[in-house]
Amino acid sequence: MTDLSIWIARAQHGDDEAFTNLVEAYQTPVYNLCYRMLGEAGAAEDAAQETFLKVYQNLGRYDRERSFPTWLLSIAAHHCIDKLRRRRFSSISIDEDEEGQTELPDHNAPDPEAETERKQEKGRLQHLLQSLEPTDRAAVVMRYWNDCSEDEIARTLHLTVPAVKSRLHRARRALAALWEAESAQNGPRRRAYESPAF
Amino acid sequence: MNHRPFDDWLLADQPLTPQQARDLQAHLQSCPQCAALAEVNLALSSARAVPAPAGFTDRFQSRLAAQRRAVQARNRWGFLILIMSVIGILTGLAWPVLKSVVQSPMDLVTTWFSDLVSLWAALQAMSHVSAVLIRVVPGFIPASAWAVILLAGGGCSLLWAFSLRKLTQRAQGV
Repeated sequence: MTDLSIWIARAQHGDDEAFTNLVEAYQTPVYNLCYRMLGEAGAAEDAAQETFLKVYQNLGRYDRERSFPTWLLSIAAHHCIDKLRRRRFSSISIDEDEEGQTELPDHNAPDPEAETERKQEKGRLQHLLQSLEPTDRAAVVMRYWNDCSEDEIARTLHLTVPAVKSRLHRARRALAALWEAESAQNGPRRRAYESPAF
Repeated sequence: MNHRPFDDWLLADQPLTPQQARDLQAHLQSCPQCAALAEVNLALSSARAVPAPAGFTDRFQSRLAAQRRAVQARNRWGFLILIMSVIGILTGLAWPVLKSVVQSPMDLVTTWFSDLVSLWAALQAMSHVSAVLIRVVPGFIPASAWAVILLAGGGCSLLWAFSLRKLTQRAQGV
């Protein structure tokens, strides 16, 4: 029996310490999903906390045959999708990076200019993510940040596997179109794929 | 511009042969759409998770405690409302009695007292009748009838003891 199974079993019998261990273990994937979905640190923390409260209340109904992370992310994704549908989302500032703060360039990096550019591109990606339809956004975040398979995404978002593939393709095309439009506005610069690492 | 098969390659996430990689690289130099898709692919594949802010678990525990308090308060209010409702319903049902108590308390006390006295007298009479029957009835039953009753009682007791022993042995599984 793994630590995770033991914690789940104990938490299902009302052991708060075991549930705290689960929160400690899964706070980052849940918070990251909420942050990528909602685009703002405060709302993301609120959504992540509410996700864990829902999990706490419904832990008795959790089927141990299912993957716990997938079940957890499913609750987080649906919570964020509901939140996004309830309000018209106002996009965050492009200058804001992860954790809602401006990330300063690392001058100790081998190439500070490239490092600054990398951080700007990450902020840009986060900004562009907000343009996607909530379910597409959830699929992209689960695929690229949580390494979920298409099958897991399908089960989480109650879609078929071909529908997940189609949504991922559509989302990436939409992101690329916006990326291209922004690049045209900002003028020519070195492209990431031109680096030897690509 | 014809993007095929380059955009299919970019969307498929499959490894390319060296020749395909060279063809794609050449195409990307002249195609801004596919170049943007390649950049998005790179940005997504190098994306890192944002860690939860420090103190996340402590804040969760505080929130859980606050929610429990709210649930307890709601339950207390619910219980109070239930009790008040029950009292209200009982008061409504008992209103005719309560009304007479309020209007003429002495009459009601007198009635209850006389009812109690009647009940006491009835119980006394029943105990006297029972005592007389116990004294008189055995005299009417002949000695042979007593012998039959005793034999039947003894037989039933033996049968009961035998059955009990059999059942106990079977239940022990030996």
